[in-house]
Amino acid sequence: MIALSKKVCLLGDFAVGKTSLVRRFVYNLFEDKYISTIGVKVSRKVLAIPRTSDVVELTLMLWDLAGSEEFDQVRTSYLRGAAGAILVCDLTRPETLDSLRANAGHLRAADPGIPLAIAANKRDLTDQQRIAESQLAAAAAGLNAPYLLTSARTGDEVETLFRRLGRLLVA
Amino acid sequence: MDAAVAQLILHDRNIAYVITDRALRIVEVSGAPLIHRGEGGGVLGRPLTELAPELIGSEATLEEILAGESPRFELPLVNREGPDGQTLYLTMVDLPYRDRSDRIVGLVHLMEDVTIMGKLEQRLTQQRNELRFLRDELQRQNLELAAVNAELKRLDELKSSFVSVAAHELRSPLTSISGYVEMLLDEEFGPLAAAQRAPLETLRASARRLLEITNNLLDVTRIETGRIELVLQPTDLPALVEAVAEEYAPQLRARGQRLTLQAAPGLRSALCDRTRAAQIIGNLLSNAVKFTGHGGLITIRIDRIAGDDLQISVADNGVGIAQDDQPKLFTRFYRAGSAQATGANGAGLGLYITRSLVELHGGRIWFESALDRGTTVHVTFPAVDQEVVASYRCSDNFSESGL
Repeated sequence: MIALSKKVCLLGDFAVGKTSLVRRFVYNLFEDKYISTIGVKVSRKVLAIPRTSDVVELTLMLWDLAGSEEFDQVRTSYLRGAAGAILVCDLTRPETLDSLRANAGHLRAADPGIPLAIAANKRDLTDQQRIAESQLAAAAAGLNAPYLLTSARTGDEVETLFRRLGRLLVA
Repeated sequence: MDAAVAQLILHDRNIAYVITDRALRIVEVSGAPLIHRGEGGGVLGRPLTELAPELIGSEATLEEILAGESPRFELPLVNREGPDGQTLYLTMVDLPYRDRSDRIVGLVHLMEDVTIMGKLEQRLTQQRNELRFLRDELQRQNLELAAVNAELKRLDELKSSFVSVAAHELRSPLTSISGYVEMLLDEEFGPLAAAQRAPLETLRASARRLLEITNNLLDVTRIETGRIELVLQPTDLPALVEAVAEEYAPQLRARGQRLTLQAAPGLRSALCDRTRAAQIIGNLLSNAVKFTGHGGLITIRIDRIAGDDLQISVADNGVGIAQDDQPKLFTRFYRAGSAQATGANGAGLGLYITRSLVELHGGRIWFESALDRGTTVHVTFPAVDQEVVASYRCSDNFSESGL
């Protein structure tokens, strides 16, 4: 088995659920209360990713970055060495979809081929959703990234999201 | 610097440092124990990333420092979980470590505990983000409300337009009915038998009431669409009150009610639209007559108030208005319980129109009332400015007898 470590950044506007996605994926926990992240919180999770002829033991170093605009200036130093990224938007806030393009732009400026995956989070808030799946599909196609409708609250598609990116990272 | 002093500074500032070789293996650890958690010599020879896993993925950047291509690498506000479960905030800095011949032989990795500042910043960010949330939510709700409001306005305009057209269409045949009934009662088409007069008088009263309702509906639509125009002119308010009271003499007589008019001396002229002011006074007097029993007393007082403005108070000793009804009294189509109990006619528009007309004049309306003791309604009218009076005189638009 081949062992690999990859740095993966989570990017998106404040309060889209980046910390909650990591918490659900790494610890299988969810906290309803919103606590703003400042700076960066690094978590680790090991995944076994099958390939055609072998299995890769992939250690994901998950960089949960502050979403607030106050951290825009230091974000560049956090992004250094990122092998992939998860771009997170909030299905109940259309403006968070627009921010994904800017974040992808920063990443691709440093590494044009960096694998990305989009998490359209808070799918459990069905009656408040204000981003249509067609909009999401269009944005994902524009960024050449897969997208998943996730819910950190219920855990829906969270594991799939990270595995999908993991496969792109070891491909 | 003395080593003891250096250690003192490191401990005081909560700074720890790690020195590595060029393979990024730890060769020295020292400084604040809080950061390296007393691992001390146990980590010697281990990779730097074991002590600082946050550096995984940044190997290329560290190589640049070792190659002398980059002076430093900094990661501010790295979150870590402290021994008590609380978040610790660390700032990590990597610098080249040089030997005496100035060759880079490894890295100096600094970790500074900035938890106090970090917690303050976290609180600030939290509040800022919560405010942004509220702002966004408010903007969203405002947009939704604006859309709902626009739709309601459209429906309201549609309703006003319908009411206006309907009232106009009703008024023409009603005028014709009233006219012919008057002519019949005046025996212009021949003498009337006694048995014919009573139903014709009922017909005349009903036609008048219908006409009044349609006129009120037209007024309401004019008020709501802002199409009421006032012709303001200096007006002798006591004279106008007297004239209006004269019109109500038959009703007062029929109900055996007594009306007293009182005007304070030296009143200025009011600046008002005479037709609309007469309508205001008429509405108030009509209500007093309707809601005061047989033999009751009605008083109209005209006083001077602050700024020489004028106040008309119409008081009765009638049925009064229940406490529950009072806040809604000026709402259109609202009829107080006492109005329904006495069987008095009306569509609940009179006071709404009255208030609107008073406010259009720049005046105020209010009342005091108690059940079974009566009601006093007050309205104010602005007084004519003396300079305006003078200019009226100069331009011959002003009648001296009106003052």
